[in-house]
Amino acid sequence: MHSSFDSIEQPIVRLQQVTKTIGRRTIIDGLTLDLPRAEVFGFLGPNGSGKTTTIRMMVGLMSLTKGDVLIEGHSIRTDYEQAIRHVGAIVENPEMYKYLTGFQNLLHFSRMVPGITRQRIDEVVELVGLKSRINDKVKTYSLGMRQRLGVAQAIMHKPTLLILDEPTNGLDPAGIRELRDYLRKLAKEEGITVFVSSHLLSEMELMCDRVAIIQAGKLIDVRSIRSDKPLGEESSQVLFEVDQPDKAVLLLAEHGAEREEDAALVRADRETIAQINASLVAAGIKVYGIRVLNKSLEDQFLEMTGGEQVV
Amino acid sequence: MFDFLQLVRNENMKIYRRIGTWIMLGIILLLVIVSSSLTRWLSEKETMWTVMNGIDQLMYYLITIFTVVISAESVAGEFSSGTIKLLLIRPWSRSKILLSKYISLLLFALVQTLLMFVSSFVLNLILFGYNDSATANEALGVLNSAHPFFYMIQAYVLDYIGLIMIVTFSFMLSTIFRSGGLAIGLSMFIYFFGLIASGILMSLKYKWVEYLLFLHLNLKQYLQSSEIAHHMTLGFSLAVLAGYYIIFIGVTWLIFNKRDVAT
Ligand SMILES: Nc1ncnc2c1ncn2[C@@H]1O[C@H](COP(=O)(O)OP(=O)(O)OP(=O)(O)O)[C@@H](O)[C@H]1O
Ligand SMILES: [Mg+2]
Repeated sequence: MHSSFDSIEQPIVRLQQVTKTIGRRTIIDGLTLDLPRAEVFGFLGPNGSGKTTTIRMMVGLMSLTKGDVLIEGHSIRTDYEQAIRHVGAIVENPEMYKYLTGFQNLLHFSRMVPGITRQRIDEVVELVGLKSRINDKVKTYSLGMRQRLGVAQAIMHKPTLLILDEPTNGLDPAGIRELRDYLRKLAKEEGITVFVSSHLLSEMELMCDRVAIIQAGKLIDVRSIRSDKPLGEESSQVLFEVDQPDKAVLLLAEHGAEREEDAALVRADRETIAQINASLVAAGIKVYGIRVLNKSLEDQFLEMTGGEQVV
Repeated sequence: MFDFLQLVRNENMKIYRRIGTWIMLGIILLLVIVSSSLTRWLSEKETMWTVMNGIDQLMYYLITIFTVVISAESVAGEFSSGTIKLLLIRPWSRSKILLSKYISLLLFALVQTLLMFVSSFVLNLILFGYNDSATANEALGVLNSAHPFFYMIQAYVLDYIGLIMIVTFSFMLSTIFRSGGLAIGLSMFIYFFGLIASGILMSLKYKWVEYLLFLHLNLKQYLQSSEIAHHMTLGFSLAVLAGYYIIFIGVTWLIFNKRDVAT
């Protein structure tokens, strides 16, 4: 076990130049990424961009053509058993043994890791809300129930890294919300790192601290979502609430201002906002409020990936 | 070691929690009961040894089929259901996970063999009463001077060696093709084709036929004579089987360890 002192700031997972080539196609191309401890980390990308392939390599289901993945400092290539010990995962659909009951499935996976008690199994069953159906055969489960069972087997051995490939797939809104809250709680209270891929961009926004965006096998951006840092150089949509919107729009014509009910909508960066404010006040227009309209992740995502076709 | 036994326990659970497995075991038991009882009523001259021997001769093929069905599904089933992903992402090497599967299959073959041996021995003892022939020759008319009970044990041991070969073979096909159906079909085809063709092959004068797998699967023929056609002995047959065994195991482990899991 690591002591919390030396490990707390060290990334729990390091992907180093991870590359996968199948035939002549390079599916993942030199992916380098560090996952910080105790965060919910989103992995976002359009269909076929390589999310599942990356996850398969992280858990050792696929070999790496080049590069390495270090989990808690252990290489997935050369020290698999030590590296995977810290991981709980669902890769694509949570497929279970259909002819076994939910409980028997959990028992099966619990036997593969030392130290999981019956009590612990009961505890996770309770947690994922499957208590009343756990002794039914999995073939009678709905997709959402299988997803819950998948989460149960992934967290049963208290991993420090939880990897979930589209875990909200098949969950109802209440289930999604529960999962989201639970994952955030795992990260905040238990210091677990959650690596989660999803198509639901809005989901990611609510759930993640940070998001990595991948397109056509390449990492194109990593950004923080829950930062309260001021906007940087980037310009955003800014709403000036004023008493004379028409006059303001006219005044701000050079900034491409638009009328928006009792306000003028402008595209501006940090410095420009201050200048505009000064000029409005100088022109005798009362400014009641200035609001920066944060682009949703979805907008940013589509902007970056250009809303392209599946590659 | 204790932990590894947990893996074998898991594999056993996956075999015995399936209804199909119990149907197979039920069929074996039922056929032993039906054939022994029918013989008791229809024939006057049979003894416990002759019936027990007859059951072994015929039902060995059935056990072979059942064993192939289960072992062909062992690896392929995990791939077709997608559970292979959850099975492999545990702190165990792929080799050990594969070994636990293989052991559970050898145990299943053993369970069937023992079920057939014990049920047919006990039942025929009850139905026909104890026959006190001193040798297999006296009891069964075969060229073997062992006590009939030990003769039967030897027959079952040789049967089991044959089962190990067929388990290993279909386990390999299951791993290569990741399709239970294909592994069953191919194992069965090769096995039964080999059985039928072995008579013809045996009569060929070429040296290479001696190294064909099928010619060595019916080891029970050595119970009657220590040398069969081509001057082959039990030792030679076992050596040939060992050669195939090493190849089958090597290929299976190599492929399972190296292959990307992309289902
Ligand atoms: N076994 C394989 N052989 C060849 N190409 C593959 C294989 N598996 C995946 N690919 C290709 O790799 C690319 C990435 O696939 P991957 O499944 O990782 O995408 P993804 O980001 O998970 O997509 P989705 O959002 O649809 O789940 C795709 O173009 C796919 O066609
Ligand atoms: Mg995917």
